[in-house]
Amino acid sequence: MTAPDPDRLAELGKRLDELQTNRAAGTKGSPPGQSSIAFRFATEMVAALIVGGGLGWGIDWLFGHFGFHTRPVFLILFFVLGAAAGIRNVVHAAAELNAEIARVQKGQRSDEEK
Amino acid sequence: MAMNPMEQFAIKPLVSAPLFQIAGHPIYFTNQALLMIIVVVASSLFLTLAVKPGRLVPTRGQSMAELSYEFVANMIHSATGEDGLKFFPFVFSIFMFVLCSNFFGLIPGSFTVTSQIAVTFSLACLVLGLVVVTGFIKHGIGFLKLFVPAAPWYLLILLVPIEVISFLTRPVSLSVRLFANMLAGHTMLAVFGGFVVSLGAAGGIFTGLAIAPMLLIIAIMLLELLVAFLQAYVFAILTCIYLNEALHLHDHH
Repeated sequence: MTAPDPDRLAELGKRLDELQTNRAAGTKGSPPGQSSIAFRFATEMVAALIVGGGLGWGIDWLFGHFGFHTRPVFLILFFVLGAAAGIRNVVHAAAELNAEIARVQKGQRSDEEK
Repeated sequence: MAMNPMEQFAIKPLVSAPLFQIAGHPIYFTNQALLMIIVVVASSLFLTLAVKPGRLVPTRGQSMAELSYEFVANMIHSATGEDGLKFFPFVFSIFMFVLCSNFFGLIPGSFTVTSQIAVTFSLACLVLGLVVVTGFIKHGIGFLKLFVPAAPWYLLILLVPIEVISFLTRPVSLSVRLFANMLAGHTMLAVFGGFVVSLGAAGGIFTGLAIAPMLLIIAIMLLELLVAFLQAYVFAILTCIYLNEALHLHDHH
């Protein structure tokens, strides 16, 4: 085998670069399937409720340790806050998903124009 | 023969004597520890040996290693930009660990490390710990602005706790997503496997029917291969997104 020709190598490199930039600008995967979207939203919501409730329970426990019997005030308060945080998470996730779908569609359109 | 589809997730000590003790709790060498060691050793060996020849025209193995490298590098670059690339070793390690654990778990008779919430939650806490540390190093106390949305002050009393809880939700949702996907998939495989065994043992016409769940298992196995990769990807990309927020605070709005 002979040593690689530097000119041909440079040309090959250029072609590879072009291909890569084209691919990066074009379609970047398809939007995720419906069940995975539903699953994602569900986990976001449930996780927020668990974290909120857990935090409230922990605060109540801590206060109870120092002789203040607040239970279940903070549990209820933080459960509600957790629900709000869950809704915020889901709304954010939905907004991200919309942006992603818009980007994919834009990529497809620019591909068709080429 | 009664089969318990959840039995595959049981953690059993492989050596009956505990390795050592931490605060009175015996620490055993379990099937989970064994699989984690196998995963780490196998992925490290594969990646180092595959790129060792360093050919210009890569062999199949080298090409696989290079592809995974570029895949993660592109992912970090598109999610966090140029300055996120210094987290490449971290994200790449997490991605490869989750990916290889998922794939090794699909081998019949082995054990799925990522189907244990203890593992996935530890990984997620590691990610969030890194995010918090990075944020405070990069922005100092200004990192706390992440929890202050643009709103009038009287709404902030309500919104700041919500943002904090929403931030604390991340390790939970990150770990639950990975763990639940692996758990569900492997349980499904085991349940349909149980159908094959009990139909086959039933005799008569049922023996012939056993082929139906068998075919279904093949389909689910293919789906699980996809899920194994997809969940590793999701875990890594979310790591990138969280790092991006720590690096650039509210820039993305």
